[in-house]
Amino acid sequence: MTAVVLWAALMTFWAPPAQAHKASDSYLFIDSAAGQTTWRWDIALRDLETVLPMDADGDRALTWGEVRRAWAQVDALALSALQVPGCRLAVDAHALEQRNDGAYAVLSGQAACSVTTSTPVGYALFLGVDPTHRGLLRLRVDSGEPQLRMLAPAALPATSGAAVAVPVADAPVAPADTHAPAFIGEGVHHIVTGYDHLLFLLCLLLPAVLRREHGQWRAVASWRQAVLPVAKTVTLFTLAHSATLALAALGWVRLAPSFVEPAIAATIVLAAVDNLRPLLLRWRSAVTFGFGLVHGFGFAGVLGEMDLPPAQFGWALFQFNLGLELGQLVLVLLVVPLLFALRQSRNYVPLVLRAGSTLAGLMALVWLVERTTEWRLIS
Amino acid sequence: MAATPCATGRAPAPAVGTQATLATTGSTTATTKASAKAIGCGARSRLLGMASALVLASAAHAAPLLPTTDSQVVERLPPATRSSASTDPAVAVREARALLAAGREAGDPRLAGRALARLARWQNDPSAPAPVVLALADTEQYLHRFEPATRRLQALVARDAAQPQAWLMLATLHRVAGRYGESDAACQALVAQRVAPYGQACLAENQALRGDHAAARAGLQRLLQSATDAASRGWLAATLAEAEQRAGRVAASDAAWRQALQAAPDSYTRIAYADFLLDQRRPADAWAVLKDDIRSDAVLLRLAIAARRMNHSQAATLQAELRERFAQADLRPESGGHERERAMAALDLDDQPAAALALAQRNVALQREAIDLWLLARSARAANQPQALAQARQLATTQGLRDARLESL
Repeated sequence: MTAVVLWAALMTFWAPPAQAHKASDSYLFIDSAAGQTTWRWDIALRDLETVLPMDADGDRALTWGEVRRAWAQVDALALSALQVPGCRLAVDAHALEQRNDGAYAVLSGQAACSVTTSTPVGYALFLGVDPTHRGLLRLRVDSGEPQLRMLAPAALPATSGAAVAVPVADAPVAPADTHAPAFIGEGVHHIVTGYDHLLFLLCLLLPAVLRREHGQWRAVASWRQAVLPVAKTVTLFTLAHSATLALAALGWVRLAPSFVEPAIAATIVLAAVDNLRPLLLRWRSAVTFGFGLVHGFGFAGVLGEMDLPPAQFGWALFQFNLGLELGQLVLVLLVVPLLFALRQSRNYVPLVLRAGSTLAGLMALVWLVERTTEWRLIS
Repeated sequence: MAATPCATGRAPAPAVGTQATLATTGSTTATTKASAKAIGCGARSRLLGMASALVLASAAHAAPLLPTTDSQVVERLPPATRSSASTDPAVAVREARALLAAGREAGDPRLAGRALARLARWQNDPSAPAPVVLALADTEQYLHRFEPATRRLQALVARDAAQPQAWLMLATLHRVAGRYGESDAACQALVAQRVAPYGQACLAENQALRGDHAAARAGLQRLLQSATDAASRGWLAATLAEAEQRAGRVAASDAAWRQALQAAPDSYTRIAYADFLLDQRRPADAWAVLKDDIRSDAVLLRLAIAARRMNHSQAATLQAELRERFAQADLRPESGGHERERAMAALDLDDQPAAALALAQRNVALQREAIDLWLLARSARAANQPQALAQARQLATTQGLRDARLESL
């Protein structure tokens, strides 16, 4: 027995030790500028295969088909092992890359967020599977010199939900102002790129430079007559979505995205139809407020995915909302004077109001179908 | 017994901050968009906007892989080595050993990393079962983590001296570091365990390193004659071959190497024999010995050197592939520990003796086998640095190594 054990030990030193065959590394690239973060992550297929059943037929040869069918699992594994505070990462594209030590899965995406050289990046890939694995992060901020970080797999810090249990006194509190531009920027970005919210607002604004008299649209006489309805509409929408944004962000009220997202599309359809054929009449203000409530849940969905630090939660929420309103205000200031200038044109009602509302309504109808079925036309 | 002709160096302490800037310069082609588009799958996102003018520079040494059909093979996987979640130490050791063995077979440290993960539960357990400690130390030494491996084994023999395998591993770890006295003590403990011929062979190897060639040769030949199995004969013959090499007896060394390869033709022995042949200016023979081996970095390096010296048509290709492998490995800031191979490449492939000398000097801070001091001396001579040559001789004297090659330079 002893001889056998010893023999094993001898073979230990006999066999060639690590011959600089590469250890397991993943390559993570993050490029952040102007509130937009582009990222790319290369992970070796053979490393992924140790934890995911990718080799479906067990022949130890991964085919492109096997890799393609495993993308969803790869994405889930990768995204659950990477934490970039302030960023909601989603995989937009897949590819393969050949390196010296084999083929790598390439995941990439964009997120509307900012990463700085001091952003702590949480990394847990292959945690408990290979303690010698490392993630090599190459981070470039505002087109500056790239910063390289070596990320060792470690348990991710608790996310906002779980971290609520941490006593506030113990929680690391970063000075609030360091994050101020980020969350205001997120809010502005979200309203500017959130086409459904913009479209809804536009549907509300199109008739604001007109009055309805005896079933006919007439241009308002002065800008004063336009400002009041615009201000009223925007205020109601703002109050409503701010309220639900806060309620949802604090976790007091929750609505499933599977309801909120189609509901947002439905509000646009209704607002557009109301412009063509009055349905809401004197209820229009109340309905605007009610629709604002729905949109607030949509904003909260975005905010919820950002993993806000609990200690700064209220502050970040306020900034995000402020950003939304600023973005909205800019839109109003751009659009309303334009509509006001055009209001007396003979073409305003048929081309701007009716055609615009019809287009908006059709667009929203497509979203509504897409968000409730598997059918895809646009996205 | 000889340890490791290739790469036993410890990984130095990570120095992320200082090395980071060096490694960031490797950006080249912007292949991201092209490769992402080629097999792109659009994701539904409401944040469609924001024209993505940002293009991430891809790392060096990577090229998009663009399969055209689902049946195209994009990666060959090593044999499956799945491990269970059992907390039974016997099961864990069996699975970790299987992973490590597969890693050794393929020269693949990834599998050693997984072996380490399988044993992580006992990593800091001072009362871990002996087989677990041995498997952990074995994995650590494979990963060039010599210090933790040594400490772990010392703690084991302190609580239980009747651990011959631990003594044998300790003897080798001390020997590789040039601590012959401590290696002798471990060999003596092995002799006391009455596990001949291992104890005697252990002592004979140290004897040969100190230059007591006649006695070592006699002892090793006696053990060789009485060895019954091929693996033991191969190991003893290779030990003898290295001893004769250091003694400057070229013909005897060559014969012993051939005997070793006949008895146990493994990659380790072939690499060591190839080093001997390259030293003897026999590149074509070195090429023939290694040409069919799995192309680990160590094998590729020797093949590239041989090809260059014999003006082989593949010389440039092999050299370029080795450079690319080194460059990719260097992307990891803690990628040190392979200075021996890097120094050999700088000296024998790239004609950069000054760089080779610097690498060889760093290498002897990590490991001091005969080959490491010989490499330092060769680099010093090529770089025309007599003080460095004197340093190599001084190191040999200090640790008690006698090597005819060093003395004849």
